[in-house]
Amino acid sequence: MSTPAITPFLPKWRGSLTDRARFQRQMHRQPVDRCFNMEFGYWDDNFKLWPMFRDHGITNNNDADIFLNFDRTAVVGSHWMHPTFPYEEISRTATTRVLRNGDGLIAEVPMDGHDTIPHFLDSSVKTPDDWKRVKEERFDRRHPDRKADIAAILRDHPANRDYPLGVWCGSMIGKVRDMLTVEGLAYAVFDYPEMVEDIVETSCVLVEDFLDAVLPHVAFDYAAGWEDICYKSGPLVSVGFFRDVVVPRYKRISTKLRAHGVDIWWIDCDGDVRPLIPHFLAGGVNTMFPWEVNGSGHPGESLDRWGPELRIMGGVDKMALGRGRAAIRQWVGSLVPYVAAGGFIPFCDHRCPPNVDPDDYLYYLNLKEELFGMRG
Amino acid sequence: MPQLSELTAAVAAGKRTDTVRLTQELLAAGSAPQDIVEKGLVPGMAIVGEQFKKNEIFVPEMLVAARAMKEALKLLEPLLASAGIKPKYTAIIGTVQGDLHDIGKNLISMMWRGANFAVIDLGTNVSADKYLAAAKEHNANLVGLSALLTTTMPAMKDTVRILKAAGLSTKIMVGGAPITQAFADEIGADGYAADAGTAVDIAKKLVGQAA
Ligand code: B12
Repeated sequence: MSTPAITPFLPKWRGSLTDRARFQRQMHRQPVDRCFNMEFGYWDDNFKLWPMFRDHGITNNNDADIFLNFDRTAVVGSHWMHPTFPYEEISRTATTRVLRNGDGLIAEVPMDGHDTIPHFLDSSVKTPDDWKRVKEERFDRRHPDRKADIAAILRDHPANRDYPLGVWCGSMIGKVRDMLTVEGLAYAVFDYPEMVEDIVETSCVLVEDFLDAVLPHVAFDYAAGWEDICYKSGPLVSVGFFRDVVVPRYKRISTKLRAHGVDIWWIDCDGDVRPLIPHFLAGGVNTMFPWEVNGSGHPGESLDRWGPELRIMGGVDKMALGRGRAAIRQWVGSLVPYVAAGGFIPFCDHRCPPNVDPDDYLYYLNLKEELFGMRG
Repeated sequence: MPQLSELTAAVAAGKRTDTVRLTQELLAAGSAPQDIVEKGLVPGMAIVGEQFKKNEIFVPEMLVAARAMKEALKLLEPLLASAGIKPKYTAIIGTVQGDLHDIGKNLISMMWRGANFAVIDLGTNVSADKYLAAAKEHNANLVGLSALLTTTMPAMKDTVRILKAAGLSTKIMVGGAPITQAFADEIGADGYAADAGTAVDIAKKLVGQAA
């Protein structure tokens, strides 16, 4: 199999540091040659609608990163649930089928398979008995597929690489929500707190096992994770539960990471994350990503409020990108002092939606280079 | 006999077993079902709404409180119905066509019930025609539309247009993560609320005006 090489559409921003040194220094608020240049990606529709992607055969976010010549990052990690639930049909009527997905959620979809979203009906884990079974079948610590392949990691990401490499520290609660559903998690925390704690503990132990295997051999530059446990106006998990049950696991993981010099840990969490920030920080998670402005407000407000311990990646209001160049200039301009202070890498606060005009998007990338690159 | 205030506290804390037990005990001791609703459950949901508005609690606590209230109502509703007692105002609620998110809508529905509205919940993916038919059939004072996707905001707009064109006196309230006051104004809705606590205040104000 050979994929045709992608010809970059934009030149790489000029710089005197490697991407790796730049990322490290910027996240530690040390002087840099210029800002780390990255974006979170695009909706699928952008690849069909934006001429620069469509006309050059760019169909996914990995290719787009190369095409737009962003600075490089990479992440390695192991499994959470493994094996996942088999996709299977549970029942059918004349017009609909009821299916089970990989997370064990049961959903109804129309028979004709037309492009619509599944209607979730139920979860496979509701009681401690369900969890006991699922834990045995799908969260076995000793499953051979969980074993870290150190040689492969070092082959793919040699020690002298010039880009930052992250180690995946999974999800302590977001994947639990995926498996239980939002309501299911709320009820389970109330009805079976020990069960939910055991799911979180299991998630933690699996990450610890992987870290024990890789950290002595691979020099990582950061840790990464995903939670998506907030919506527009706040957390989707009880804050008390998060503080008392999730944060101690973050602490265990961050203690291991720090013992090997990994002291930047970003977690991908949409929505309004502000009520969780003190707890994330207490657990050693010090970087919030992608900082959705519509939920969490201007990133500068929280950077000012929490001081140097908090870092942010993202925080460029996607709505401003959609409102045209004056709004873009105003928003990106408001970020200048925060980029200068370090600990903040600006990019669109989620996948960039297709309502953004592609020419305005290029204007935005260009403006970022003007303000935060070495070209200004 | 337990105090109504104990029931209020149980609902606010989301304790469904206690809520159901206290409701049963109050009924057994001769409390009127209407009092249990109005002086026991409704104040409980009001506490939850206030705490939610102030960011003291979040969605999970609201969901468990709503679940407790719902189970108590299961016991009370048949009694209220057979006594011919009906809440003063009727609201229709649903999530607009193309949208299957219902957590926010369910919370609003529970809060409205908690504020003693009769609520007819049409579910998710509700067409404009279905809202219209239900509003007519139940002579609704209020119709609530929820949308969580930017792609279903146009369906909300169409629904408001069709309901308005039918010339009913029903007030229309909209909400959901992408909805703003500005959007609500633009599409001609009568009210908007960003959260479940405010949704009660605005709903009361709107039907007060309609009455
Ligand atoms: C849970 C969730 C789901 C669950 C829904 C489960 C359910 N039973 O509802 C599932 C997994 C099924 C789901 C599916 C999808 N989702 Co979804 N989902 C969410 C999530 C994480 C939380 C929504 C939620 O329940 N919040 C909690 C409730 C309480 O808040 P709320 O709904 O906003 O309600 C409050 C207020 O808005 C208001 N309110 C709400 N309704 C009303 C009505 C009235 C009348 C009033 C007055 C007030 C009011 O009061 C409520 C209480 O305070 C959001 C994230 C987010 N940022 O919102 C994404 C989100 C809404 N989903 C999103 C997407 C894209 C999808 C999918 C298309 C994903 C996919 N590719 O499959 C599908 C779409 C399915 C469909 N056709 O509807 C996007 C929407 C992006 C956009 N710009 O449109 C979001 C924003 C996530 C993101 N950051 O990208 N989702």
